[in-house]
Amino acid sequence: MSDARSIIDALRNRDETVLRRIVEANTRKLYRAARGMGHSSEEADDLVQDVFLTFMTSLDRFEGRSAVSTWLYGILLRKVQERRRQVTRERTHDPIDEAWEASFKADGTWLRQPVDAESALTGRQMGAAIRDCMAGLPGPARDVFVLRQIEELSAEEVRNVLDLTITHIGVLLHRARLRMRACLDGKGWRTTA
Amino acid sequence: MMKCREVSGLVSTGDVETAPLRTRLGVWMHIAMCRHCRRFQRQLQRLRRRAKNAADEAAAEMPADLPERVLQQLPRE
Repeated sequence: MSDARSIIDALRNRDETVLRRIVEANTRKLYRAARGMGHSSEEADDLVQDVFLTFMTSLDRFEGRSAVSTWLYGILLRKVQERRRQVTRERTHDPIDEAWEASFKADGTWLRQPVDAESALTGRQMGAAIRDCMAGLPGPARDVFVLRQIEELSAEEVRNVLDLTITHIGVLLHRARLRMRACLDGKGWRTTA
Repeated sequence: MMKCREVSGLVSTGDVETAPLRTRLGVWMHIAMCRHCRRFQRQLQRLRRRAKNAADEAAAEMPADLPERVLQQLPRE
């Protein structure tokens, strides 16, 4: 993308105005994503600084094919995975898949019919419940959930960040949503009849 | 006619957005007629909104001086 290329050229020339614009436009997004991926306030603060430091020292590797923000999310993801010490591999078989299949009759219609999910929880309680349930998601599913649902990246952008196939990203999003739904169901956000 | 399992699966994986037109039409027609799949779709939409709200609450805890600290520590040479 030429926009991304011109930004990178400006940064290579140490254009302070462009640098400030990039930092101010992306700091909050990166901080929010880091918190969503399970890091404390202090860790997220540290991660964001680390991401920008890596970004500025790796400008030569940026080819301008994706947006600068996507490149920054990619750096964040690698740092988050490093801090997890090992990349948690998503299982090819996941028990949540069986729970999903058990939601349907043999003819493919709903057995456990969805209801309009409403909750007696207050906004603050719901926020805590959501964060609690997200904390229980396996690493890769959580990363996809944060990037697709909270940071609103397209599947194509997430593919660039995570180096996964579009199909795998879909499977991880599906599993994350089912786990979130099941977890919230146990916290007073009724989802099935 | 597509079945609930297939339709709700496509909605949940997010694959509807990139599916062929024929599949997208099938999904839309099914959802228009099936209240259970409509409810499932609404659940996912609510989940997304709630998750975004929860993330925004956490992001509000970001120290106001973080962008400035980031700028100060970056190499200029």
